[in-house]
Amino acid sequence: MSGVNAGLLRLTRSTLASAALVAIVAALAMAYTSGGGASRDSLIAEMLSNFILVLGMQVFIGNTGVLSFGHMAFAQIAAYATAVVGIPLAAKAKALPDIPFGLDSVHYGPLGATVFAIVVTIIIGGIFGIAVSRASGLAPTMITLAALFVVEQLVKNWKELTRGAGGLSGIPRLEGNGWLWVGAFVALVVAHLFQETRIGRFAIATREDELAAPALGIRLFSARWAAWVVSMGLIALGGSLRAQSLGSVNPKQFTLDSGILILVMLVVGGMRCVSGAVLGTVLITAGNELFRQLGDPQRLDIERFPDLFLGGTMLLVMLLRPGGLLGDRDLAGWLRRRTYRRPPPTGEEPRAGSNTLVAAEIEVHFGGFVALDGAGVTVRPGEVVGLIGPNGAGKTTLFNVITGIVHEQGGRVTLGDRELTDAKPVDIARAGLARTFQNLRLFKNLSVRENVTLTELVAARHRSHRVRPDADTLLADAGLTEWADRQAGTLDYGNQRRLELARAAALAPDFLLLDEPTSGMSDQESQAMVESVRSVATRVGAGVLVIDHDLGFITRISDHIVVLNEGRILAEGTPAAVRANPLVAEAYLGSSA
Amino acid sequence: MLEVDQITTRYGAITALHSASLEVRAGELVALVGPNGAGKTTLLNTVAGLLRPATGSIRFEGNDITGTEPARLVRAGLALVPEHRRIFKDLTVEENLRLGGSTASAHDRRERLEEAADLFPVLRTKWTTSAGYLSGGEAQQLAVARALMSNPRLLLLDEPTLGLAPTMVDVVFDLLQRLREQGRTLLVVEQNATRVLQLADRGYLLRTGNIVATGTGADLAADNSLFDSFIGLEAHGREA
Amino acid sequence: MTKLIQTIVDGLGVGSTYALLALGISLIFGVMHLVNFAHGELITVGAYASYFFFLHGGSWWWMPFVIIGSAVLASVATELVAFRWVRNASPFTLLLTSFALERLSHALWQIFVSPKQRAFPKPAWVFNQFKVAGVSFEVMDVVTIAVTAATLALTAVVFKRTLFGISVRGAAEDFDAARLMGVRANRVISGAFAFAGLLAGVAACLILMRSPAAEPSMGSDWLLKAVIAAVIGGLGSFTGAVVGGLVLGLLETLTRAYLPELAVGWDKFSTAVVFVLIAVFFVIRPDGVFKVSHAERV
Repeated sequence: MSGVNAGLLRLTRSTLASAALVAIVAALAMAYTSGGGASRDSLIAEMLSNFILVLGMQVFIGNTGVLSFGHMAFAQIAAYATAVVGIPLAAKAKALPDIPFGLDSVHYGPLGATVFAIVVTIIIGGIFGIAVSRASGLAPTMITLAALFVVEQLVKNWKELTRGAGGLSGIPRLEGNGWLWVGAFVALVVAHLFQETRIGRFAIATREDELAAPALGIRLFSARWAAWVVSMGLIALGGSLRAQSLGSVNPKQFTLDSGILILVMLVVGGMRCVSGAVLGTVLITAGNELFRQLGDPQRLDIERFPDLFLGGTMLLVMLLRPGGLLGDRDLAGWLRRRTYRRPPPTGEEPRAGSNTLVAAEIEVHFGGFVALDGAGVTVRPGEVVGLIGPNGAGKTTLFNVITGIVHEQGGRVTLGDRELTDAKPVDIARAGLARTFQNLRLFKNLSVRENVTLTELVAARHRSHRVRPDADTLLADAGLTEWADRQAGTLDYGNQRRLELARAAALAPDFLLLDEPTSGMSDQESQAMVESVRSVATRVGAGVLVIDHDLGFITRISDHIVVLNEGRILAEGTPAAVRANPLVAEAYLGSSA
Repeated sequence: MLEVDQITTRYGAITALHSASLEVRAGELVALVGPNGAGKTTLLNTVAGLLRPATGSIRFEGNDITGTEPARLVRAGLALVPEHRRIFKDLTVEENLRLGGSTASAHDRRERLEEAADLFPVLRTKWTTSAGYLSGGEAQQLAVARALMSNPRLLLLDEPTLGLAPTMVDVVFDLLQRLREQGRTLLVVEQNATRVLQLADRGYLLRTGNIVATGTGADLAADNSLFDSFIGLEAHGREA
Repeated sequence: MTKLIQTIVDGLGVGSTYALLALGISLIFGVMHLVNFAHGELITVGAYASYFFFLHGGSWWWMPFVIIGSAVLASVATELVAFRWVRNASPFTLLLTSFALERLSHALWQIFVSPKQRAFPKPAWVFNQFKVAGVSFEVMDVVTIAVTAATLALTAVVFKRTLFGISVRGAAEDFDAARLMGVRANRVISGAFAFAGLLAGVAACLILMRSPAAEPSMGSDWLLKAVIAAVIGGLGSFTGAVVGGLVLGLLETLTRAYLPELAVGWDKFSTAVVFVLIAVFFVIRPDGVFKVSHAERV
């Protein structure tokens, strides 16, 4: 039941935010068109279809942080799809006598044509999106660019289907701008809702940190691909409505240049939030029109001044506010914080997990350099094990082997009876190992609470057998309650460390793996960190494996200490035993040769 | 020669160095020891100009060099052999050395290339090999040779024995000794605390961003509490 | 056989222009992680410089100096005016900044010259033909390949032998380590932009000899191909940029020449086929042919 309620709440919030934004834009539009003139109505029509296209781009680019030049290719596919089923049969027989796929006898009304266009685009785009979502770095951007060239040539040369360069006309035109307003509203609701869904939150996590997201059990591919598919749906809606609003399509409507115009709208307003996309669309459409009128109509070149405006605006925004004018100030986000209700505590008592983490006989070579030479570590349920050793001893490598970042050439990693040798970070996280990072990898643009609730979404799916305390309980344990609504990146260093700890604990893991949790902290802070780690680990019943340079911290927090040196175990035992071991002192201070 | 006066250095929200001061006199070998994460590398990087201190000042041969670009410090006679060596793996040994001597005249550069080849015979045999193919010990010698190409009066070395086999560690310590005999002033960060303190004129012990002890090398090395300071067991009584 | 040779020569001709541009893009990426979408505008700058030079009585003998000189100046200017101020920003911001410059460049030529094409005479010998062993070649084909080969050789010498070249390579691998060697950050970056401008200038000469005309958005198509070539080769890799450029050129001309024989009726879709292949390549090797790893910048 609570799932349905939460879903309703999300829908209500998204609708409210969308309605408010549409109302603002509509008020502006009415003020503008009351000055009269059909040209003013057509400018509004242009703005509304831009609006839908911008939101389509925002869902993918804004949420995943992957730049795409190719979205217009799919808007074009949608526009042509609308045309080939929307043009009345008689006119179609004349314009496209050899149309393939039996389309010569297919005719849909406006709604049917729009739906057809969306379905076709999602299928074609979805397949293409597999390639986009699998690649990393700049490759996805290049793949989208390739899509643009491919579709451009198909549209120009597949004359049986598209009639080539001349384009197609005779698509039944929509009366007035009413349907465009409806489309814009629907697009807004979808874009807002997507940011509230599980997979949408995951997409945002991958944008914020491509390494931390998988380490918390979020699969990059599925999050990106989902964003891509939803984005395709909106782009198709925009392309289809634009075709129906103009009554015609041609290859020049959806070029790289028009895509860049849409991209500028997105980045100027602030691509991370929906409100930013709205602001950008309004500003750029208005500015473009203003500069167009500044141009000299005698010189035929009404495009000149808008380019100046676009380039200048984008340059200024990049130099002065690279996050866009709004940054993260989102109407929906504000609503979300205002309507936040803490879920009732479950009242479940934490129990330690029953699995033991074993890494045994691990061997890793980098080229000729032997980083690990048979070292290993065992952590029993609920136990705190410290891993120490001088620089270059292999601690971090062992940690990276356990968390799936480095592949071992020999040895095994197991959790209970689950084999984790050679598993991927995302699967290791879901199996119950949650890690923190030496150099802090928070989702910086999200609020403190959102950092934790994001991980809870993973836990709800993959760790449901464990006790899962709510985000606020964990934040309280980590001493972060008063900062819950702050942006994570604005916290001071010690609190960022504690937040990373709380975020990892929200996965309800069997073990927390902490990579130098006190590095850069003063002695008082690291003393406080001992308490934070203990209370958070106890709350979720997790054992702890911790690397740290600060032996004071390690001896205070650990039940058991393993000392590595030159890739092997040098000593292990209780803190007192390790401290008294002369070999350990020698490893740290060096022998007096 | 070098006076570091109460510098504090931050990385974003992290304060890595709290008001640390030290002094190196001409001709000395000064060792800077302490546990990992204590701020030793931060201190060297700040002196070398890679990081800008938030407060405090640094003087080199009487001139204020706080916040000066590394490129100017190299020309002034101060060079750093950075942590992890950071040799240019895509460049050959010769190219690495030439880049090290980029501030010298063409004539001096040629002369120093010869000197480097004499001082490090192993490099001469790998002259046109990409530095990425060198072993750890060879790479470390290249890193030092590269820094010497600018003929620095003060050489900072950050963990020169890190990741080296024991025999190579001996080679590096011999090298430190030789550089000192050449009359160069050295400030060395070294994990092998016992050994570097035996060699050093003076030493500083750094912990969680603070200088916690100083003295002659021998005194520090003989101090029984060195290990405790390293692992931080006594720190709480001592913290100001 | 004759056809194959001619196709390959054509492909190398186009490909070498891509290679020169891709090399500049890779060079800039190496030193500051910027994918410079304004790089193609250097061709436009060169074209307008030639146009004005001709208006004032210039001849083709001096043209290369005018084109290359203006491209170098423009390249250095973009760094001074824009990129210097976002040097440590995210790659995304850097890329969009270069996009903004590209737009501005289009706008300025449109406003201060004309949105329309401005043509000027081409050198008389460009399309002269000659035959070797029954295969006919255009003079321009030979000039293109010879000039590119000479430029690449010069580039190799600069990057292998001169202190400037070694500094740029060092800075591309580890910028802070290069600073510790006494390399001045501003100087090496300005130098890289100047050299990229020189390469783009040579490319512009080759392009303008064939089609001597200036148009505000003429650089864009070349730029996109060059970026793709650079990414195919592996951004930051100089060898990769050259290989990527030549491969892309050959792929385009070979597909155009032989696709109709392989699949009847597909000749209209040669570009589409090329880009589908490129997309597949990026799925298989997202980091390009020569993967480049960089030290993290502090």
